[in-house]
Amino acid sequence: MNPSHDQSSSDATREPVLAASGLRKTYRMGRVPVQVLKDASIEVRSGEWVAILGASGSGKSTLLHLLGGLDRPDRDGGMIHFEGRRVSEFGGAELNTYRNRSVGFVFQFYHLLPELSVLENAMLPCLVPNRWLSATLPLLAAVIGGGVGAAVGSTFGVEILPTADPPTPSKIALLAVTCGVLGAAIGVVLFQLGQVVAERTRLRHGPQAAISRNTLEEFGLGHRLRHRPSQLSGGERQRTAIARALASEPGVLMADEPTGNLDATTGREILDLLKKRHDAGLTIVMVTHDSAVAEYADRIVRLEDGRVVESPA
Amino acid sequence: MSATLVHPRPDSPHPYPRIPRVQTLVYQTLLANRYLGSRIIPLIAVAAVALCVGLVIIVVSVMSGFLDMLLNSGRTLMGDVIIRYADPGIPHYDLLIEEIESRPEALAATPVVESFGLLKLPYGNRTEGVQVWGIDPASFDQVVDFQDSLVWKEAPPEVQAFAADMTGLEVPVFEDLPRLDPGADGGDPGVILGVEIDSAAKVRRMDGSYEVKAPAFWMPFRDVEITLIPISTSGALEKPDNRRFDVANEFQSGVYQIDSRRAMIGLDTGQRMLGLEAAPIYDNRLLDETGELKRIGTYPARVQMILVRAADGVSPEGLRDSVNLAYAAFAAKINDEDTMTIRPPDQAFVGIRTWREQLRDLIGPVEKERELMRILFSIVYLVCAGLVLSIFWSIVHEKTRDIGILRAIGASRPGVLGVFLAYGLVIGLVGAFLGALLGWSVVVNINGIHEAMGEPAPDWTWMTAFALAAVMLAIAIHAAIRGGMLRTLLSIVGGLVLAGVGTALVLHSGFLMWDPAVYYFNSIPNQVDWSSAILTMAGAIVFSVLGAAIPAAKAADTDPVKALRYE
Repeated sequence: MNPSHDQSSSDATREPVLAASGLRKTYRMGRVPVQVLKDASIEVRSGEWVAILGASGSGKSTLLHLLGGLDRPDRDGGMIHFEGRRVSEFGGAELNTYRNRSVGFVFQFYHLLPELSVLENAMLPCLVPNRWLSATLPLLAAVIGGGVGAAVGSTFGVEILPTADPPTPSKIALLAVTCGVLGAAIGVVLFQLGQVVAERTRLRHGPQAAISRNTLEEFGLGHRLRHRPSQLSGGERQRTAIARALASEPGVLMADEPTGNLDATTGREILDLLKKRHDAGLTIVMVTHDSAVAEYADRIVRLEDGRVVESPA
Repeated sequence: MSATLVHPRPDSPHPYPRIPRVQTLVYQTLLANRYLGSRIIPLIAVAAVALCVGLVIIVVSVMSGFLDMLLNSGRTLMGDVIIRYADPGIPHYDLLIEEIESRPEALAATPVVESFGLLKLPYGNRTEGVQVWGIDPASFDQVVDFQDSLVWKEAPPEVQAFAADMTGLEVPVFEDLPRLDPGADGGDPGVILGVEIDSAAKVRRMDGSYEVKAPAFWMPFRDVEITLIPISTSGALEKPDNRRFDVANEFQSGVYQIDSRRAMIGLDTGQRMLGLEAAPIYDNRLLDETGELKRIGTYPARVQMILVRAADGVSPEGLRDSVNLAYAAFAAKINDEDTMTIRPPDQAFVGIRTWREQLRDLIGPVEKERELMRILFSIVYLVCAGLVLSIFWSIVHEKTRDIGILRAIGASRPGVLGVFLAYGLVIGLVGAFLGALLGWSVVVNINGIHEAMGEPAPDWTWMTAFALAAVMLAIAIHAAIRGGMLRTLLSIVGGLVLAGVGTALVLHSGFLMWDPAVYYFNSIPNQVDWSSAILTMAGAIVFSVLGAAIPAAKAADTDPVKALRYE
């Protein structure tokens, strides 16, 4: 068990940051319903590292996905609370925000985007934008571009009509609409290009980049910032994935078999890295089938027959 | 365990600074940009969209150019509005012209008589059926810029050399506007023939000018005979009138049907030959003091057509409306005059049409062809959409895991949709602009390309093709030895294509698709129809985005849990 366990135990009075009660989740294997979780309940306190131990297929990952808002429980299949809010009743937009800002995921297979550099991968959650502006600005660009296009089309349309086509109002109108469509497309793409230029600077020198760069340097990846995931070792990829999970400063880090795809030495390095962050106050929920890995946690619970069972200390 | 135990996290749970959020759709732009730059398939999609757009622009521009050419040529000798009333013609036409010219919409008007007749050429006993127009050259020029249509400004060198050899043969001096009606001194009237009526003496060059092959038969040296059959005011045929005319010049309108079938004579001569000149009216029941039938008035001269030119900035339709009013005023004025016994025809029976309405038989089929081509080639939009759809479908399938990751870090469904729509938009826009560039390059240089096709290929072209084919073969052999099947196959295919191109270039002996000696235009239209081009570009963009929309919606609907299991 984690040496900080004693300290954590002494913080048993801390309030739970994440709690789930009576969770049920059923999958269908063809026509056969398979209930993976049956009345599973768990409570995670702020600053706690909880390991969920269980055999393959016991529903550990499903529980993690439900806690992290990636999946929803069955109808009337229990409740999940995060910082006093009912996650299980979140709408789509709230759930997206929850996944983006409140939790960070680390997966067994790293799941990095191959087209992005290490730094860009690490910053990715910070690049998911403010919803209101993200929808409005390109629309605004399209409207401005469309308006300019339509104005140009209706003003100069007569000039470009061949003499075989007499400039009737309907032809001018069609030309104005066409120029408007073209203008809207140009507006959106110019807006995107502007973003590429503006964000290139921000990606390299902005506060998100600085923080992600610091995290990556702390994780020993300072020399790999511009490399692609395919150029990294397994351990480096997982460290990048952890840096990504931490990028938006989540309330809880959800780790699904974080060492499952690594050799023992590299796995230990990854766990040491998580421990360092945990010691600094990070709340972690980790799923593993390896009891040695689970030993790093403050508290171990077992998933047996679809229910969470506290492991004896 | 009770959920009510859960409380908000303390303000600062760990010592890392809070990270500012970005405000815009950075990840969509970033990913669309990276997907475009790191893969070959999007480039193929861009190339396909560009080819489709370029193809439509080239075809529609050339078709529009031909239609423009046809219209401009057809309009050359028509003016903007035509008033037409067949036999017995419009009397008091000078008053009508005065009324029309007093209106600000009209710049000038000119009277024309028209009839079919027989033209006897001075050689080979050839007699052609022609349309004869009797015109007043001065006012006709004001309305239709007739001077510009006259072919001969001076005798060509080969004719001058021939005349120098033939003692006594006088080279004609061409006036800017030849006088067609004989003056007081008499002499034969003049005629201006369509340039294609006499096709035996001359050959059209590539640039549209004429080379006189047989100077002895060159028309301005010769005279012709024209026979017209007048029609009486009661509609009966009268005795044919046959006269000899000196050929004063030739004209070229640009429409073969006109240039090979029309002869222009003087208005007075035409009216006399057709019985449309002013004539006394007698009362056959009364005799005057000399014992002749008593003259009770004058039957005014008549014309069958009046051509009107619009003032600057006035549309033919606007002029037509004004001419209609002018005709009504003219008819009212004449009808109010008791002394005017010959009334103008009722306006309902007089055709007052714009040049476009007049030419609709000629324009209609070409316009329909162009629209048909536009519709048929618009199918390429569907090709764009289908291509982008299939490419994006495979990309979305391949990127399922990435989509799961994006959803896991909080990207919304519309956000994921936006990645692929932005991707499709960029492909459509880049493809459309490259296509426009391609179309413009081909259309602007189409005559050069056409002429180059008319010549045998230069030696360096086929030599280069064969040299490249040899290089590809060498690469294929090298790849076969190294065991690379794909590289071997691609090299062999590339080599065969290049060898085929080389062989075609060797065999190519020159082929002119539109030989000016056969087809009646000097050059292929090389103006891009930008209105159609813009429509095509916008269509390609819209259909590319539509093609991307279905895979994008599939991506947005991806269940992140299933996507992340996809490994």
